[in-house]
Amino acid sequence: MTKTIGKLGGQLGLLIMLLSGCSATTTIDEYRPTDQPIVLSGDEKVVILGRRDAGHYETDREFIECVSDEVTSGGIKVLPEQQFIDAIYPWFEPRTAPKGLPRLKRLMQQNNIKAKIDSLSIRYLVWLDGSTETTGKGGSMSCAIGPGGGGCFGFAQWDKLSVYEATVWDLDELVEKGKLRVDSEGTSYLIGVVAPIPLLTPVKNDACGSLGNQLKLFFSIK
Amino acid sequence: MKKIGGLILIVLLAGCSSSASVKITSSFPSVLSEPKPINASILIEDSFATYVGTPNKNTQIDIGASQVNLLNSAFSGLFDNVDFVTSLDQVTAETDLIITPSVIEVQLSTPSDNYLNVFEVWIKYNLDIQAKDGALITNWFMPAYGKTPDSFMADKEKAIEQATIIALRDAGAKLMLDFYRIPAINDWLSRQNINQESQSL
Repeated sequence: MTKTIGKLGGQLGLLIMLLSGCSATTTIDEYRPTDQPIVLSGDEKVVILGRRDAGHYETDREFIECVSDEVTSGGIKVLPEQQFIDAIYPWFEPRTAPKGLPRLKRLMQQNNIKAKIDSLSIRYLVWLDGSTETTGKGGSMSCAIGPGGGGCFGFAQWDKLSVYEATVWDLDELVEKGKLRVDSEGTSYLIGVVAPIPLLTPVKNDACGSLGNQLKLFFSIK
Repeated sequence: MKKIGGLILIVLLAGCSSSASVKITSSFPSVLSEPKPINASILIEDSFATYVGTPNKNTQIDIGASQVNLLNSAFSGLFDNVDFVTSLDQVTAETDLIITPSVIEVQLSTPSDNYLNVFEVWIKYNLDIQAKDGALITNWFMPAYGKTPDSFMADKEKAIEQATIIALRDAGAKLMLDFYRIPAINDWLSRQNINQESQSL
């Protein structure tokens, strides 16, 4: 009996050790000129857009949707990205989207653009810029199949790093209201003991959850 | 039995072929713009309306109908009155500009070409722009570019379609952003005494 409990305890310990190895390390840096949250009143909405002008990467839509869902869960009204881009076409395409406030000011001087943004009740625009990349790989895994069955043997691991930056623009006052940066990293494992057992670290999900939660704190609803 | 085996082999080998035939059918949003008081006739030749790009011998991209749809929206954002005509006989006396778009080339780059995890599409347009008397104002080369965010596990045809739609949207953006910046168009506008400020984005 004592032997069985000891064996179970050992297996449980190993499982906990393996699972704890699958958590991501996330750091958030925040800059804003004041501690006070931005107050959203009435029907005022936020739109969260991904930067897509870089050559070697683009902020993926899945991540934008994930952050939008997090922010929406705090009761903040978020206009879907594609709906905004289509409504204001072609001024937020990769070629034409404003990269800085001077260009945004010039865009907002156009009566039809200002009127469209007002009609959509968008007060704040959040730019998300970043990507998730695999930074290192190691180990090897080989799988084989034969008449008697098959299986995989070996061990593989890979490191992932998510770096995203959020910049909040006020479309009414045409100023920057703050910046957030999230860095999340972790290692995932694949253990091949007949069947391949993946132990995945949700680096991107962690970055999304942390960024979304922090963005929620930027805003408060009147 | 041999026939079935042969058939399975053919099906498997066909599955390995890298040919792709894509037809773009998506619609494009209306442009948000203040058009200038110009009457323009857009001459859509049959070769443009039915254009199928062949960036390589295994790939066909049918962009004819969708690019007409896109230009319909984009030119309406540039000019107060736009007539789409299929021959010069249909151009009315009120027309100020006659524009004939054509596709010079469609280029495709796949992950195996560019060693990136994306599909890229370039569409190179030429706009032949004439005054109402038929005098050539300029031939404007207008390249447009689109790429997929990521091709991981993506179906090749879907990825090419996605990159082409982004390239077509980019063509609309390029047209809206740069048309009135073409030096020859700028000169022509100043001769016509038409306000040049509304499109100075």
